[in-house]
Formats: sequence, C-alpha cells, structure tokens
Amino acid sequence: MFYAGSAVAQPMPLAERITLCGTCHGEDGNSRMQNIPSLAGQPEFYVLNQLFLMREGVRRIEVMTAFVKDLKDDELDALSKHYAKLAAKPSDEPTDPALVQRGTELANARRCGSCHLPSLAGQDQMPRVAKQRIDYLIVTMKSYRDSPRPGADTAPPSPASRIPTSPRSRIMRRRGSGAGLPVFC
Amino acid sequence: MTSILSYRRSILLAGVLGLLMTAGPAVAQAPPGFSPLDKTKPAESKQDTNLKPHPTPPTVTALDKLPVDKLKLPNGFKAEVWSHGHPGARTMVRGDKGTIFMGTRLIGRVYAITDKDGKREVKTLLTGLTQPNGLEFKDGALYVFAINKVFRYDNIEDKLDNPGDPVELTEKFNLPDTVHHNWKYVAFGPDGKLYVQVGANCNICEVNPGIHAQIRRYNADGTGMEIVARGVRNTVGFDWHPVTKELWFTDNGRDWAGNDGPQDELNRIAKGQEGAFYGFPYCHANNVPDPDVKKPNPCQGVVLPAALTGPHAGGLGIKFYTGNMFPKTYQNQAFIARRGSWNREKKFGYDVALARITGGTAKIEPFLTGLLDEGKNEFYGRPTYVLQAPDGALLVSDEQNGAIYRISYGAPRTAGR
Repeated sequence: MFYAGSAVAQPMPLAERITLCGTCHGEDGNSRMQNIPSLAGQPEFYVLNQLFLMREGVRRIEVMTAFVKDLKDDELDALSKHYAKLAAKPSDEPTDPALVQRGTELANARRCGSCHLPSLAGQDQMPRVAKQRIDYLIVTMKSYRDSPRPGADTAPPSPASRIPTSPRSRIMRRRGSGAGLPVFC
Repeated sequence: MTSILSYRRSILLAGVLGLLMTAGPAVAQAPPGFSPLDKTKPAESKQDTNLKPHPTPPTVTALDKLPVDKLKLPNGFKAEVWSHGHPGARTMVRGDKGTIFMGTRLIGRVYAITDKDGKREVKTLLTGLTQPNGLEFKDGALYVFAINKVFRYDNIEDKLDNPGDPVELTEKFNLPDTVHHNWKYVAFGPDGKLYVQVGANCNICEVNPGIHAQIRRYNADGTGMEIVARGVRNTVGFDWHPVTKELWFTDNGRDWAGNDGPQDELNRIAKGQEGAFYGFPYCHANNVPDPDVKKPNPCQGVVLPAALTGPHAGGLGIKFYTGNMFPKTYQNQAFIARRGSWNREKKFGYDVALARITGGTAKIEPFLTGLLDEGKNEFYGRPTYVLQAPDGALLVSDEQNGAIYRISYGAPRTAGR
C-alpha cells in the first residue's frame, strides 16, 4: 500500500513522454516487442483507466511503476487521447488458420463481442483485443484465469476462468468478428 | 443436495444455528478463482446482448459538471453539493471529530473529508488497495476492509496527513479473497459486533454455503465469527432499525434472467431468525425460482423479502433516519441509494428511494430522483450510499461524479461551495 504522497515531478512535455512510451509500445503505438501490449486504437477510457490504476498501485506492473507514478490526471488524459487516435495494426506473429478458426468459435461461444464489440475493437473500459499482440493476450488471459486483475470489474474473469489453457491460446488468434454476450455480475 | 436441504431445514427449525456456529477457521477454505458451476444462460434472457456495466470515471468531475441541478426532491427539501473531487465516491462513515471517511471500489482509494468553517477539504488517505469499500469507525479507529486485507488505523483523526502503519487484522477475519461480489460492507451492530458480508462468487451458481452468500458477525478483533444470514447473493448495505434493533439489508438480484427481474430485495433478519436462509441461488424476490439452478420446492423455507426494490436497481446503502431535521413522517424510515441498472435495456434506479416500514414489511417510494432521463435512457449520476449528518441532513454519495450531495429540509444553511 502507498500513502498519497505530495511528490511533485518535473512535467515532461507530452511529445517527449510519447517517445518514451514508444520505445516499448511502438513509435506508432503498435508494439513489436514480445509480451508488450499495443496501445494504438485502444479506447480512450481504457487507457486512462489503466494508467490511473497503475499510477495508484492498484494494478501493479513493476516495470511500469517508474513511468506512471508521477503522471498527473491531465497527462493521463492527453496520453489516452493520443493512443485512441492511432491506427491499430496486426503484429507479425505467425498464425495458424486452424487455430484461428477454433478461436473464432470459442470467442463466439464465449460472447467476447458483447463487451469488446463484435469487431473486438473494445469500448469504454473494455480493451481492444483485435490486432493486439498474441503473446500479450495469452499472458493476460492466463493471468485473468488464475487471478483476477485488481482494478478490473468482475466481468471478464468468470468466463475466462472456465477455458482450459490450450483452447484459450487459440481464442486469441482470432481476427474475425463475433457477437453475443458474456457472463458476469 | 439432500444434506443441504436437511441442513437448511434444521436452520429454520432451530432458527439459531448461526448463533451456535462460532468456528472461524473451521469452515473449508474458499476454492481459488470462480465457481465452475456458473449456469447463466444470457442467450435465454431475451435481453439486448450488448448490455455491459457502465464505466466509472477514475478522475475528477469538475464542479460545474456535477448534476446537482437535476436532482428532484419532495417539497421543502433541497440539494446542494457538499463535497467533490473524490472520484469513485461510495461508502461514508463519520469520525467522532467530524471527518467523513469514504471508501471506493475499483480505484482503490480511501478518502478523508474534513469540514472546517463550512469548507470541505479532501485528502486521499490511502491508495493502492483492492476495492476498499468496507469502512467503519469506532473508538477513534478506522476499520478498512479491502477484498484481501483488513486494517485498523487507531486514532486516525489525529493523523490524517500521515496515517502510519495500521494494525493488520486480515488473518483474524480470515475472509475469502475472491473478487466477485466480495467488496465489503461492514458495520458495528447494536450488539457491538462487527457485521461483514461475503457475497456469492458468481452471478448465479451453487456456492459453498460455508463461505459465500452470507452475512457474518465478528468481535471487533476478528474472533468469534457467527453466520447471521445465508443465501444472500450480494448485499453491500445494511442498517439496524432504531427501535426493534433488527438488521435490514439490501440485496442485489441476479443478472441475465430478463429485463424485469428477479427484482432486488430489502430484507430483514427478524429477532430469533439469525442464521436463516434468504434463497440464493434457488429462489429470488417473492417466490421466483431460478431458471438455471434448479431444485424441487426452491422457495420452501426461504425468508422472503420485506420489500422488492426494483429490477436490476442496484440497491446499495441503506440508513434509517433518526434526525430532527426532516418531517416526523421520515422518522425511523429507511433511505436506500440505488446505483442504477446495467443489465436492463431500459435503465432503472439511479436514485435514493424511501422504504416506509410497517412491522416486517416496507413500501418503496421515490425520494431523490432526476439523475435518470427515461426518455433518452441516459443517466447523470449514481447514488451509492447515504449518511445522516449530525444536524439531521442526509449526505448522498455519487460514484459516477465523485461527489457528496447534502439533502436538507426547511431553513436552508449556507452551502459550502
């Protein structure tokens, strides 16, 4: 736990901040690094919310702490608007058409599109999963299954928790569209 | 199943089993994660398949954006902004020296709001907790219940700028750390016991009745656990009737079983009925059998609600009014904050209702409205908890806008804005 501090950091100009973020998350917001998420095309509210939760120590990602701990609310706002405007591009990770097919079926059955939208572009507090890095999605889904992320609403873990590991890896390879709704609350 | 049935019957016959069950660690450990038995069938709910929970802003809503002008009240009442700039506003407890402590959910903060010469100052007291919704204040100490942690901060009002290290009571209370419906509501009862709920760890499923879907009570140090209500899906608000001293609690109904229900509930634990069963997951509202988790005679032996509080309404905080400011007809009646629906095509709730109590039943009527535009199907705020101020005014927290509204009656006092 952290107590609310009064540390005042030197504000970094937004452009400089974005360059810094881009060293891992990609200059254009599309990550080319293993297990590092793409931020391009993420819903504005989603980015704001996650940066906020990381800054406050609710969602703890050690490597991110130094970068987010001094961000002011208006900087969170500016970064969120920036990444929401960028175009999401698929990563160059290899995909297996059979797995893509199986993932499409699973995503339809699990009704992922209900919150993440049929296009899986995400909305509000729900992240874009379309065109996200596959390795990052696998890691994220596994951690959701094994222990729900603090700061997230209770929505996604319930359906994810019942997906065994191997088909779950497949679900992430999906790039198509789906519809339906999940199980939560 | 047979054992659960006969178990249940024995509770109802004896009526006091909860009192006899004093074992804390004797109950089985909570299984990790979520129930594999969640049987929700949303496709059969015939509801819009794109319903989803509404996002809660984590950052400050500017004073001029607060929807205070939209608030509607009965004649003679007025609403004003009491404090703002504390995103995620939910539970409120008052310290002996007048500090309002405020709990939140997703953003993980606890605030301390002080009132000096009609001006409010908001301090972020704690951050980084996992849904610290459960707060209580007693003998100078602030009790903080997050999902996975229990802390006590002694003499907290003397050290709001640096609360220091708390006394940790997590192991003593031995609460499950599952997330689903497990953000806490806690309060000391007239018996001096600390009442704590543990919600169902699913939307609808068979829960482990030894752990989930309960209201418990403990000694203040976390010893002497007893179960005072079972089969309670998700209560995050309760209070004691000022005269009968009986516990009344709100309870949120299940989702994905239709737009119109099963309705949320207002329940009462009648004297001598501690440990009784309130129906989850088999029976909801007034005798509504669950469409997914079925068993014969699902509502037999179930304590039915004192009142239904609306479909997907999200009834959270409840307080009996005992102040001198409001008209006498409000005395000993209960205010209920309804956060508003998400799992309903036509939005419902987003208000503070009044439960007019007659014996063991209640009639629900509107009190604070105006935050829901039914024509546009849009909402402007989400009342979550209520608190009676020493002068008899009612404080209402708005989670969506990070504000507290003060509801007063009669001669208006100078607003502190």
